[in-house]
Amino acid sequence: MAGASMKDIKLRIKSVESTMQITKAMELVASSKLRKAKERQERSRPYFIGLKETLVDIESSTKDFSSPYQKQRDIKKRCLIMIAGDRGLAGGYNSNIIKAVIEKMQGDIPTCILPIGKRAVDFCNRKGIEIVTSEFIEAGSISIPDCFAISNLVTQGYLSGQFDEVSIIYTQFVSMLTQTPRAESLLPLKAESNSERKESHSLVLYEPSPEEVYDAIVPGYIAGMIYGAMCESVASEQGARRTAMDAASKNAAEMIEDLSLRYNRARQGAITQEITEIVAGAEH
Amino acid sequence: MSTFHLRISTPDGLAFEGEVERLRARMIDGDVSLLAHHTDYVSAVGAGEAAVVLPDGQTRYAACIGGMLAMIQNEANLIATTFEWADEIDLDRAKRAKEKAEARIAAAKNDDRELMLAKAKLQRALIRIGVKH
Repeated sequence: MAGASMKDIKLRIKSVESTMQITKAMELVASSKLRKAKERQERSRPYFIGLKETLVDIESSTKDFSSPYQKQRDIKKRCLIMIAGDRGLAGGYNSNIIKAVIEKMQGDIPTCILPIGKRAVDFCNRKGIEIVTSEFIEAGSISIPDCFAISNLVTQGYLSGQFDEVSIIYTQFVSMLTQTPRAESLLPLKAESNSERKESHSLVLYEPSPEEVYDAIVPGYIAGMIYGAMCESVASEQGARRTAMDAASKNAAEMIEDLSLRYNRARQGAITQEITEIVAGAEH
Repeated sequence: MSTFHLRISTPDGLAFEGEVERLRARMIDGDVSLLAHHTDYVSAVGAGEAAVVLPDGQTRYAACIGGMLAMIQNEANLIATTFEWADEIDLDRAKRAKEKAEARIAAAKNDDRELMLAKAKLQRALIRIGVKH
């Protein structure tokens, strides 16, 4: 009896050990992917900030400024860009973003979703929500040109009246341990008054006209926003996975310790029994 | 000749930073050429070739598509969606992209959106090929 259980325990230890190897490897992969996502975001920042500053400058330095991207309309339909992960095993990453989307969708206004990431596409299919396009299935492989394609899609949809409001729901990477879902509105663009800088830039020559420059750079700005959110989300996913895998590795280590103890006890028990049997046999 | 500071940033990172004599690029309303002490100027970048003249007289060409160009107080900031120096362009890839885009245009007769996307792709490929030659 003791022998059989010894063998069982040994097998369990082996299987837990190999699980631990996998979780450890996944943790390392997640760490390196996370670092890459952060670096990518860091590199794109000057581009994005430059566009944003110009938009604010044009708005604040031009009198009677108006742009179709800025006009508030009655909201008949909303578009949500939803960024989720491609795979599970990332703690609460996917379920948190789904919760945030459900919360955002409350109310009577019809909503369509542009899902990014396999889990987001699955969610929309399951709930029967209208999908704008399911071209962008893999969140991990979304590149800058993809973000421009998404941006063109939503800006054109917005201008043609397909929807009257565009928001993006992504996961903000606060720290290694905290990732919070966030909703940010993309269109219409909010007028940001920046009166401080008004003076120095009021004599800038905008060619062909401030409005035309503004409208030409909005899609790039939106693409930058999407790309930034994309990188944050990928970093969050990897961060969540790293934490989850770290916990799993720790649990596995604990289990191995526990099982080793039981194995040693079983072994000791078997030896004691054998000695008792031998001694009992010798006495007679 | 006097020079000015030029910074070219793209979503992939900084493409160039340094003193230049002249910058020529295609805006949405045509080519412009900036020299030092140009008046404060902001415009949106179209799609075409850009040329940067360095202080040693050497000219570098690049494919420059989308984004904006700002010259504020003798500091030029080119924020381009795509900016590739001629020596970084992969000619074979551009040619393949051109063929693919042409095939897509031929296939997408009635689909306006598809046609527009394919045309944009073709234009980008043609610019890259043009810059490389």
